[in-house]
Amino acid sequence: MIEVEGLRKTYGDFAAVVDSTFSVEEGEVFGIVGPNGAGKTTTLKVLAGLVDPTDGEVEVAGFASDDPEMRRQLGFLPEESPLYEEMTPLSYLRFFADLYDVPREAANERIEAALDRLELDHRERRLGDMSKGMKRKVAIARSLVNDPDVLVYDEPASGLDPVTTNSVLEFTHELRETGKTVVFSAHNLYHVESVCDRVAVMNEGRIVARGSVDGIRERHGETTYRVFTDVSPARTDALVEILGDRDDLDSPDALDAAIEEVGDRFRTTVPTMDAVEAVREAAAAAGGEVVDIRTREPSLEDVFLDIVGRPMPGRYTGGGGVEAADGGNDGDGERASDETRPAEPPEGAE
Amino acid sequence: MIDRLQRILRVARWEAARAGGGVDRRTLLAALALLLVAGGVLGGGLAAGVVGLDVDRDVYRVAVDGDSPYTDAVEEAPALTGVPVDDAVLGDTADLVVFDGTRSGTVETVTVRASDTPKGEAAAAEFREAVEAHNERLMAAEENRTAAFPITVALQYVGRTSGLDEGSTLGGGDGGSDAGSGEGGDGSGDGDGSDGDSADGSDGTGETGGDGTAEGGDGGLAVPSIGGGAFRADTVGSPGAISPPFPFVSLLLAFVFLVPMNFLIQAYGSSVLDERTNRRGEPLLVTPLSPVDIVAGKTLPYVAVAALVTALIAAAVGGGALSVVAVLPVAMAFLGATFVGAMFARSFKELTFVTVGVSVLLTTYAFVPAIFTNVTPVALVSPLTLVVFDLQGEAVGLGEILFSTGPMTVGAALLFGLGLGVYREEDMFAQKPVGRKFLDALAVRLRSVGEAGTGSLRSRSGLRALAPVAVLTACTIPFVFVAELLAVALLFALPVTVSIPVLLVTIAFIEEVAKSVHLYAGFERDAFARTDRVAVAVGVASAVGFFLAEKATAVVQAVGLTELYVGRAAFGSVAGAEGLSPLAVAVLFFAPLLLHGFATTLAAVGASRNRTYYVLTLALATLIHAAYNFGVVRLYA
Repeated sequence: MIEVEGLRKTYGDFAAVVDSTFSVEEGEVFGIVGPNGAGKTTTLKVLAGLVDPTDGEVEVAGFASDDPEMRRQLGFLPEESPLYEEMTPLSYLRFFADLYDVPREAANERIEAALDRLELDHRERRLGDMSKGMKRKVAIARSLVNDPDVLVYDEPASGLDPVTTNSVLEFTHELRETGKTVVFSAHNLYHVESVCDRVAVMNEGRIVARGSVDGIRERHGETTYRVFTDVSPARTDALVEILGDRDDLDSPDALDAAIEEVGDRFRTTVPTMDAVEAVREAAAAAGGEVVDIRTREPSLEDVFLDIVGRPMPGRYTGGGGVEAADGGNDGDGERASDETRPAEPPEGAE
Repeated sequence: MIDRLQRILRVARWEAARAGGGVDRRTLLAALALLLVAGGVLGGGLAAGVVGLDVDRDVYRVAVDGDSPYTDAVEEAPALTGVPVDDAVLGDTADLVVFDGTRSGTVETVTVRASDTPKGEAAAAEFREAVEAHNERLMAAEENRTAAFPITVALQYVGRTSGLDEGSTLGGGDGGSDAGSGEGGDGSGDGDGSDGDSADGSDGTGETGGDGTAEGGDGGLAVPSIGGGAFRADTVGSPGAISPPFPFVSLLLAFVFLVPMNFLIQAYGSSVLDERTNRRGEPLLVTPLSPVDIVAGKTLPYVAVAALVTALIAAAVGGGALSVVAVLPVAMAFLGATFVGAMFARSFKELTFVTVGVSVLLTTYAFVPAIFTNVTPVALVSPLTLVVFDLQGEAVGLGEILFSTGPMTVGAALLFGLGLGVYREEDMFAQKPVGRKFLDALAVRLRSVGEAGTGSLRSRSGLRALAPVAVLTACTIPFVFVAELLAVALLFALPVTVSIPVLLVTIAFIEEVAKSVHLYAGFERDAFARTDRVAVAVGVASAVGFFLAEKATAVVQAVGLTELYVGRAAFGSVAGAEGLSPLAVAVLFFAPLLLHGFATTLAAVGASRNRTYYVLTLALATLIHAAYNFGVVRLYA
């Protein structure tokens, strides 16, 4: 449904998107994640035909991105969607339906259905008097008035309260079930994990990882074991050897630093079951024992840290299986090249 | 096509609803009712004669006997009001007292006493004027006109010859020193008439040229008393009653057409900027509508309002279709300039400066030349002059209509085109300074030239890349024309020794900027490779475009503008070259191309470096161009 080949977009000397290539299948929900300035919004705007690519080929629903006919097949939700505040939701949506030449009856049906599903009741109230969440719902409904095959959503849940966020994410999920192809970007990796079939991780204008969430997690993350003991494990040779790969163990007190005291217990995080055995032996050597072992799967946040080397801004910390990450590491994933970029992006660039 | 028109109309309806929705419906109805009531009261008052604009009515109280011959004079003067002389107390109930005195033969002695106050002195002066006016009216009513007016002076204003003498003005020639003389009957000139054009006597009365006396040799301002056009004095009375050829009433009524424009552009500019604020208009850009459709739809209601208001004003002031045809291009220019301004402005604060600037500039352009409607063809640079002609009931030719309305119409279209260049996501929502936005709007119309672009400059693709440069330059011609006409109109009244050098440099600067500013934009926005080779190529392309388009300005000859000295100075290259050999004519024809090629290439090379170099080379190109212009003027002189 969407084919992007060698996409490049520059603003003067600044490269917002560099050699991006990806495709999205029909009925798929495709997420684009990355830090600020990664090129997510620029990529979405190219898909929506708002921005002309400097180089590369972009095809949406069988049309080139600069083909006006493509816009009939597309619904776009920008990151910020100020509406015409003197209008009501119904008049606003009908106006846009008119611009797409949607017959009045069909338009009314679609508008009613969308607003019903989005649980927006105040349909004759001035948009200027509505909350941000309600306006966002109207904007989402606007993206559907032409019954498009492809939906491009830029940060659809940005700045919304948790209830509205869940409502929007559920709605996005349902769109897939109705056969729509959805591409959306998010800062919040939990949103991406919960909705997307596949993701592309962007950094500094480049796609640095691409694939299913599980596949990326498998490639760029690793399962870890947290071993809880009732005493601090002793400095045994086996334990030092197993944890020796860690950079933070190159000082005499490094082992102590690798063992965290959590309440009245000690937590040692290790990568393999052999290491768990080494910790058990070290605990026994210190006169204690293992009281708990937990397995931890890597989140997309961890994967992102592994690839990009820095934490996501404004990351989700309210549950859902994603834990706050602290600090980055070098990782071994695909990395952005050292291509020089100016310190500040120009206007218009993400 | 029909679908597209329907979509444009949908946008127009929506825009009209939005614009109307900005004001509370109740407030709108209340304002409308208030307007109707005020209009009704004023109109009724005017119709009944109880409301007038005589603010100087009944200012001075004059005590005069009812049988006095001065009673009529007092009653006829609006500023004077008569009070009974018997009860009058000077300085209290009367400002002036008229005592009819004794009669001695045919001489009657009259004593007039005024209160010893400034008001008393003013009352005396007003009384004196009232008596003189009363006597004038009595004589005008006299059947034996020869007895009443032994000498008749008929004024005929004619165009003056031109020259570069000290003290003459751009509007025409100097006042001649030849004394006008009456040639027949008992008339005689007054000794200070002008040159021979207007001094031929006729019909037995002395006739002198009406102009030239004030200007001859003193370098004073020549307007508005110089001749031209079809104005003829028809005032009968004393010389003091002769009015200059200043169409005050028509001009005032013509100005009324401009007033609504200033309000209209406020609403329009706000609406356009509102689309850009917080990216509100972004969803529209994703619809199947093109930017042209969106802008056309948004502009249509304002054009309709302008047309409606113009038609209503025309009907109210006695204008006809010509007034509407003349004012609509002005409205379009107002809207076009406001559209560009709103596309460039970063905030409503900046937009305010833009709209005020547009108002001042376009009002000046439309109004100032129209002041000289009955004086000189220069006035035709303004469409408002056509309105004045229309209100005066004078016939206007098609050529004059095209000349007056053409530049503004084409200019308005190009302004919309300029603004549309940045009506896209990348530019529309970017907060750039106005100057950078302007360069963006120009650069978006260019193609890549040189290393960054389409290969060899001599290849077909290379030449194709240069074509937009020439086209863009050609598109500046209406603005160049308008700017030069405005310069002519503003410098028109100054002495030639001042105005000609200023005009020549001004025109050179305007043209050099027009030819090179988009080249600078091309280099700044990396559309052009920064090499001397590319600079020469785009400079020559721009010069060719300007040269070809400049020839189109030959239309000025259709309305006789080049009959004026200033017309020849400004548009000399297209004026007649009678008496020259074919070779000389050919040289003169192509000389501007060489000039433009050299000067523009110079500026282009500077533009390819950086802004400082561009400014310096632009200044140098302007001086070279001005020197050339001066040579041409000397040649024609």
